[in-house]
Amino acid sequence: MDFTFTDEQRMFRDTVYRFAKEEIAPLGEEADLKGEFNMEVFKKMADMGLLGLPFPEEYGGSGADFVTCCLAGEAMGHAGVDGGHTLAWGAHTYLCGTDIMQHGTHEQKLKYLPKLASAEWIGCMGLTEPGCGSDAGALATTAVKKGDKYILNGSKTFITNAPVANVFVIFATLDKAKKHKGITAFIVERDYPGISTGNPMHKMGCKCSTTSEVYLEDCEVPVENCLGGEGNGWNIALAGVEWDRSTLLSPFIGGMMYMIENCSRYANERFAFKRPIRDFQSIQNRVADMRVVLEASKLAVYRVAASKDNGVALNPLLAAVNKMYVGDRGFDMCSAAVDLFGGYGYIHEYPVERGLRDAKLGQLGGGTSDIMRMIVARVLMM
Amino acid sequence: MMNYELTAEQKTIKKEIGKFCQEAIAPTAALFDESPKDKAADLMKANFQKLAQANYFGLALGEDIVGATVAGEALAKTCPSTFLAAMSSIVSFGIPVKLFGTAAQKDKYIDALVKAQVIGAMGYTEAQAGSDLGGISASAAKKGDGWVLTGVKDLVTNAPLADAFLVLAWTDKEAGLEKGLTFFIVEKNASGLSVGKPIETMGLRGSLTAEVALSGCEVAAAAVLGGEAGKGYAQLQTVLEYIKLSIANLSLGIGQACLEVSTALGKSRQAFGKPIGLFEGVGAKLAVMFTNNDLSRLLTLRAAWSMEQKEAESAVLTSCAKLFASEAVNAIADLAMQVHGGHGYIRGAQVERLYRDARFAVIAYGTSELQRAAIAKDCLDKFKAA
Repeated sequence: MDFTFTDEQRMFRDTVYRFAKEEIAPLGEEADLKGEFNMEVFKKMADMGLLGLPFPEEYGGSGADFVTCCLAGEAMGHAGVDGGHTLAWGAHTYLCGTDIMQHGTHEQKLKYLPKLASAEWIGCMGLTEPGCGSDAGALATTAVKKGDKYILNGSKTFITNAPVANVFVIFATLDKAKKHKGITAFIVERDYPGISTGNPMHKMGCKCSTTSEVYLEDCEVPVENCLGGEGNGWNIALAGVEWDRSTLLSPFIGGMMYMIENCSRYANERFAFKRPIRDFQSIQNRVADMRVVLEASKLAVYRVAASKDNGVALNPLLAAVNKMYVGDRGFDMCSAAVDLFGGYGYIHEYPVERGLRDAKLGQLGGGTSDIMRMIVARVLMM
Repeated sequence: MMNYELTAEQKTIKKEIGKFCQEAIAPTAALFDESPKDKAADLMKANFQKLAQANYFGLALGEDIVGATVAGEALAKTCPSTFLAAMSSIVSFGIPVKLFGTAAQKDKYIDALVKAQVIGAMGYTEAQAGSDLGGISASAAKKGDGWVLTGVKDLVTNAPLADAFLVLAWTDKEAGLEKGLTFFIVEKNASGLSVGKPIETMGLRGSLTAEVALSGCEVAAAAVLGGEAGKGYAQLQTVLEYIKLSIANLSLGIGQACLEVSTALGKSRQAFGKPIGLFEGVGAKLAVMFTNNDLSRLLTLRAAWSMEQKEAESAVLTSCAKLFASEAVNAIADLAMQVHGGHGYIRGAQVERLYRDARFAVIAYGTSELQRAAIAKDCLDKFKAA
C-alpha cells in the first residue's frame, strides 16, 4: 500500500493550482453569473497542457497517468475554478478525447487529438437521448451504412459542450434487434451535412459549460469515422466509465477543499456574541463532517485512478460507490457550507453559493445516485 | 507510486486469520450474550489461548499496522466482543508498554501478552471523568522509593480477566495535565487493588467490564511506565491513536458482518415470488451498507498506513476513521435490522446482537462529539489569519 503522490505529481499539482487560481478562477466568476462558456479559459487550460493531459505526446498530449489527471482536476477545483468550466474540460478531454485516444485509429488520433489538446477544436460526447439516460442500452439513434458513408438519424440531449463543439463522438445503433451489440460510436464533425445543435439550456449549476440537444437528420459520416469498429460502441461507453468515475469526479474533490478552506476562514473571522463563530460547536461539527467527506471521497476517487495506473481491472462496484458517495455527500457538504455562511451563503458574491448549485450535478450526471445503488445492489445479489 | 493493494503478506494474513476466526472463534460468538459472567470469562480466556496460537497478538503488537488492521477486521466480524477484549489487552495495555516501557517492563510483559500468559487492561475513565482527563481524581503519593495509589477507575474493559493494569493517576496535580499525570503498571494481586463485579452492558457482552478500586495500593518505583513520572498525558495521546484506529476497525468488522448476513438474506428470503434483495428498496439498503462499509475500510486502512509511516496527519486521520466508521456501522446495523424485518428483532438473531454491539463504537474512547471537535480544530487552525 502507498497513499502518497510522487514528487513529480505533487509539483505538477502545485503548478496547476497556482495557475488556475491566478489565471482561470477569476474568469469563471463573471461567466457563471452570465451563464456563459469563456473560451479564454479553455485557451489557458490548453497552454497549461490540461486539455490533452492523458493523450500520448505524438498526438499533442502530455501522456499523463490517471492519478496526475485527477490531480489536475483537484487542483482546479481547489483553486476555485467553477464547476462549469471543469465540466467542459471533462467532457472535452475525457468523454470525447480519451474515447478517440483509446479506440481510434492512428489516423483518427492524428486528425483529432492535437486539435483537442490545443483548444483549436472543442469536443463532446453524445450518448444520452430524450428517451433514455441511465438506460443507455435503449438508445434509438440509428446508423445505416450506405456506400462509403453512414447515415445517422436521431437526437441526443444534455450534451455538454455541444453548442460550442467542433467534433462529436456520437453513439448510434446499427441494429436495434442486436441490443447492446448493435451500438456503434462515430466521430462526427460540425460541418458534416445533417448535424445541428439546439439552444444552450439554462442549467441550475455548472452554468459555464454549455449544454444542448444534438440533432442528426440524415447526417452523413464518412466510413473511416466509425470509432472502434461496428458493434463496439457499448464497450467504448463502458470503458469511459473509469474516466467518468475518477477524472470527472476529481474537480469535486478540489471543490470540497475549496469549501473547507473558505468555511474555516469565515468561521475564524466572523464574530457573533463577542466570539468567533468557530467557538460554537454546531459550526465545528459542520467543518468536521466536511473534512471526513473530503477524506473519504479522496480515497475513493484515487483508488480508481491508482488501480488504473497499476493495471488492476476496474471493479464496477467500487466505481459506483465513488459516484454515489461523492455525488450525495458532496452535495450535503456544500449545503452545510451555505448554512455555515448564513445569509452570506445565499449570495453569489460569497464563495459557497455557486458550489451548492454546481454540486447538484454530482448526483445526476453520468448515472444518477439511484442508478448507482441499483448497480451495487445488482452486483451484491449475483 | 500510489497503490491501494495489500501486500502479498497482508493478503495471506487476511486469508489465514479469516479462516482461523471462522473455525475457532465463530462457534462460540453467539454464546457470550446469554452466558453468566463467570462462564463468559472462561469462554474469553479460551479465545485468548486460541488467538495466541494463531499469532493474532503478535500481529497486533508488530510493525505492520495495516496487516494488523486486516486481521482485526476478520476477528471483529466474527466476534466483536472478542475483538474488544483482545484489543484491551494488546493495544490498551500492550502498545504503551511496547512504546514507552523500560527494558524490564518490556521483558516482563510483551512476550507474555503475545502468548496470552498475561491479559492486560487499562484504566483511565472515572465516574466523573472520561474524555476530560483533567477531571480524574486518582492520585499517587510518593512513599519511600515507591508510590501509593488511591482512586476508582470505572468501566475498565477486561478488568475481570486482567493480570495487569495500566492505571492513570496524578503524580503532581500542580504541574497540570501535560506534566502531572503518570501511568502505573499494577498487577492484579497488588494489595489494595480490587476488581468489582462485572457490569451488565447493552452490547459486546462477552467483553467483561468492571470497576477497579485502588485503596492504599502500594507499588514500587519500577511500576511507573517508562520509569519516569509525569509522562502519562503524552503517552495517552499516542496510545489513543492506536485505540481510535482499533475502534474504527471494530466498527468495520461489525459492519461487514451486518452486510454479509443481510446480503445472504436478500438472496434467500422470498417475498411476492422473488428474493427480497431484488426489490429496489431492499437492494438500495444493501448498496448503502456496502458503500459505507467500503469507505470505512478505506479510511481505516489509510489511517493505519499513516501511523505506520509516522505521517504528521495520522492523529486527524485516525479521528476521521473512528468518527466515520463508528457512525457508519450504526447506520449499517439499523439498515441490516430493517432488511431482516421482524426476524431481526428477536433475541438470538445475529443482527440484533450486532445492532447492540455497534452502539458502543460512537461512545467509546472519544465520543463522536470529541472526534468532531478535534477534526474541526485541525481544519480551523490551518486557516486562521496570522
